[in-house]
Amino acid sequence: MPEVKLIPEKWVDRYGDYLFNFTISRVNDPIMAQDLVSETFLAGLKSAHRFKGNSTERTWLISILKRKIIDYYRKINSNKGKAEVRMSYLSNSDQEGDWMEEKAQDLRNPNVEDTIEQEELGKALEECIACLPERYATIFVQKTIDNLETETICKEHDITASNLWVIIHRARVQLMECMNKKWHKDN
Amino acid sequence: MGRFFINCDEASILSTREQYGDLNPKEAFRHKLHQGHCIRCRSFHKNNERFQRKLRGLKWVTLSDSQKDSIKKRIAASMKK
Repeated sequence: MPEVKLIPEKWVDRYGDYLFNFTISRVNDPIMAQDLVSETFLAGLKSAHRFKGNSTERTWLISILKRKIIDYYRKINSNKGKAEVRMSYLSNSDQEGDWMEEKAQDLRNPNVEDTIEQEELGKALEECIACLPERYATIFVQKTIDNLETETICKEHDITASNLWVIIHRARVQLMECMNKKWHKDN
Repeated sequence: MGRFFINCDEASILSTREQYGDLNPKEAFRHKLHQGHCIRCRSFHKNNERFQRKLRGLKWVTLSDSQKDSIKKRIAASMKK
């Protein structure tokens, strides 16, 4: 396996949106999500000397972020003295932070099922993206989530447009297979 | 590229590019022509479209430019230390 080098200057552009998405679907607060992403990068800088290059930069940053999210919930739980249930920021941004008991009645709302399915799908996709090779994942996210221009991505990665489309195509094929497997496994 | 007929590898790439609205009329025509006689690519294209619809249905949130700048500044400051 080739040695992986950390390039902190590119972290925000390469992984910022992915980590932000990952966080916001778990902490239900955009400001806190931004803080956690920011803290993750800073923690990454501090512990850069411990990075052995055994995993990719992205996997390593996600593992740091996961620990940050766990710490965040630990802090909340210790402050409030009871477990807080994560609710969807995406579906009910005007009611963020509500408790499960208050939300339970909404389950009769037909839109809730769609929202739950969307959330599950989003999480499954995140997990599948995490299984992609680093380069595929970065380019797929930049093109599909960030909607960056083909030319911009090509310049950043020093590849041709044909190469970019082959990478995106392969990433999509792997993602479709991964999603299918997850779907059959879970149902 | 003046030819009309393409192979399955090319067709599958065109199918993916189509999901991002990247095909010019000639490429779109070649792709349609290929699908007309290739069941496998037709099926792949349908799956590809279904996958794209799912992706569109997901609500992605992204960091704004100002949020990114703010994080970049924090990283830069930390790197100077």
